[in-house]
Amino acid sequence: MARKWTRYPKKTFYAFIGPWAIGFVLLTAVPMLYGFLVSLTNFDGSSPRWKWVGLRNYLELFNDGDAWAALGRTMAFTAIVVPLSVAGSLGLALIINRRLRAVGLWRTVFFLPSVVPVVAMAIMWKLVFNKDAGILNAVLGVVGIGPIDWLVDPTVFYSLITVMLWGLGGGMVIMLAALQGVPVELEEAAVVDGAGRWTVLRHVTVPMISPILFFQVITMVIGSLQIFVQPLLLTNSSGIAGAGTVPESNRMYMVQVYQEFFLSNRFGYGSAMLWIFFIIILGLTMVLLRSSRSWVHYEVDTDAEREGATK
Amino acid sequence: MTVTTRPRAQRAAPPTSHTAKNRRRPATVYILILALSIFFVGPFLWLVLAALKTPAEWASLPISVLPEHAQWSNFVAALTDMNFLGYAGNSMILATIYSVLVTLSSAAVGFGFARLTAPGKKALFVVILSTMMIPQILTLLPTYVLFSRIGMVNTYWPWVLWGLAASPYLVFLFRQFFAAIPRELEDAAIIDGAGWLRMFFTIFLPLSRPVLITSFLLSFTGTWGDYIAPALFLDLDRTTLAVAITAWYQDPHGNVIPTVQAAGAVMYIIPVLLIFFFTQRYFIRSAVGSGVKG
Repeated sequence: MARKWTRYPKKTFYAFIGPWAIGFVLLTAVPMLYGFLVSLTNFDGSSPRWKWVGLRNYLELFNDGDAWAALGRTMAFTAIVVPLSVAGSLGLALIINRRLRAVGLWRTVFFLPSVVPVVAMAIMWKLVFNKDAGILNAVLGVVGIGPIDWLVDPTVFYSLITVMLWGLGGGMVIMLAALQGVPVELEEAAVVDGAGRWTVLRHVTVPMISPILFFQVITMVIGSLQIFVQPLLLTNSSGIAGAGTVPESNRMYMVQVYQEFFLSNRFGYGSAMLWIFFIIILGLTMVLLRSSRSWVHYEVDTDAEREGATK
Repeated sequence: MTVTTRPRAQRAAPPTSHTAKNRRRPATVYILILALSIFFVGPFLWLVLAALKTPAEWASLPISVLPEHAQWSNFVAALTDMNFLGYAGNSMILATIYSVLVTLSSAAVGFGFARLTAPGKKALFVVILSTMMIPQILTLLPTYVLFSRIGMVNTYWPWVLWGLAASPYLVFLFRQFFAAIPRELEDAAIIDGAGWLRMFFTIFLPLSRPVLITSFLLSFTGTWGDYIAPALFLDLDRTTLAVAITAWYQDPHGNVIPTVQAAGAVMYIIPVLLIFFFTQRYFIRSAVGSGVKG
């Protein structure tokens, strides 16, 4: 009855990863499939008298101007926020990476906002942006710029971008780690060859950290496309946030979805919107992954190169 | 403006002036840092100042930056206008349940991917990495619809399940850590007759203390700060502080009292800030682990 001893019994591996595998099926795969089934119905969230409507929700979506407008806004928002965030966090990291006084303090100051919960962030910035009592208008007033209502159309779009950039610190820490992995000799060699700071950054530093830049771009694109809570909370209205109070300029795609679900009680239509969005995000990610081949520089074998250099 | 024009001037300059440039640069850098610090810290200060003003001071024109007398009564009001401590307790329970469970399950799954092997391991790892790319909110709404039909809405069960299911990101963090541990340690334990389960609990788990702490802190602050899941899944009486401070603190006309809400928000973020100040290196470690090896 004695079985042959194996170092790696198969069952052990499956037992260890079991929690995730079961969770993935029950909490990701099943809800998504269920969402697809709901998208084929006219379910309103409570009434038991729902009907199968086939692809009608999807057909309606293709002619839904509001949904496409929301998608366009979300894309525009992403196209503005992602480059600014990547460049901004790289810029912060470059500053912190220099020999400065009290560098630990500055790093903490820059990093801190990125751990502030979204609700507190919204409350804080609403106080800053307040038209009459906010500090921003008070400062601008000194230079003679009249009170601006930051939380209404169309300025609220830029207020939202400002709030997003406030959380740059998280990206900065990642960039900082990347920068510290760039061999100093490489940059020094470029300087000896007569390259200016800008040239070194453009032709040595950035290519060296491009895998991490790329990782940042991907996560930020996915994050910005699904932006939802920030526009929901950053409004002039008070009390429990609802999709109905979000100003037009900040009606991102997910806000629109939320409205279909909980204001219009159109669970079927909302689910169809979610599925189309999932496909769009998936497609965009694929395009980005494909494009990365041309601009992301992967170091193949550092040690071999170094050995060759010393010989 | 000086910031953008300077590098160009440098490029034109001959390489010999390099040291001279470096000596001149810090002043501009410190001015830039100061400006950035105002941007990053300013909102905190303004929040605290608002929490210390009377409503009249807050609304006065022209703006009075400092309150005449610090209004500590705002904090009393924030604690008593709603059941602040009750909501804080809900947040605490929910965050603790989720963080403990997700840390243990992610450690186990990470261990499996790092040290064990079986057919299908590679494919499963690709699946786990790609789930990191699925936007959370896309699964959250269908999960809500599903859970509301099986009576799991307005309970803490969803957090228990999410905790048990492990988080792909934390799994990745643990996998990286466990994969770097020398094989000799494993061999020694096998010779001593330890099975994988015992090995995991008595050798690998204690070794991974820094990752355990990182994972716990990240999930704790994450759950403490989460707005959308409690807003969707929990009614106002069972919800967390994050939702409660946006929903209460209203005058009889239904308008939020900004000074009291600011006081509530200050108390709401204090735990996060304390955790952050004392454990910053763990947060940095997680960011580093995700970026460099991702």
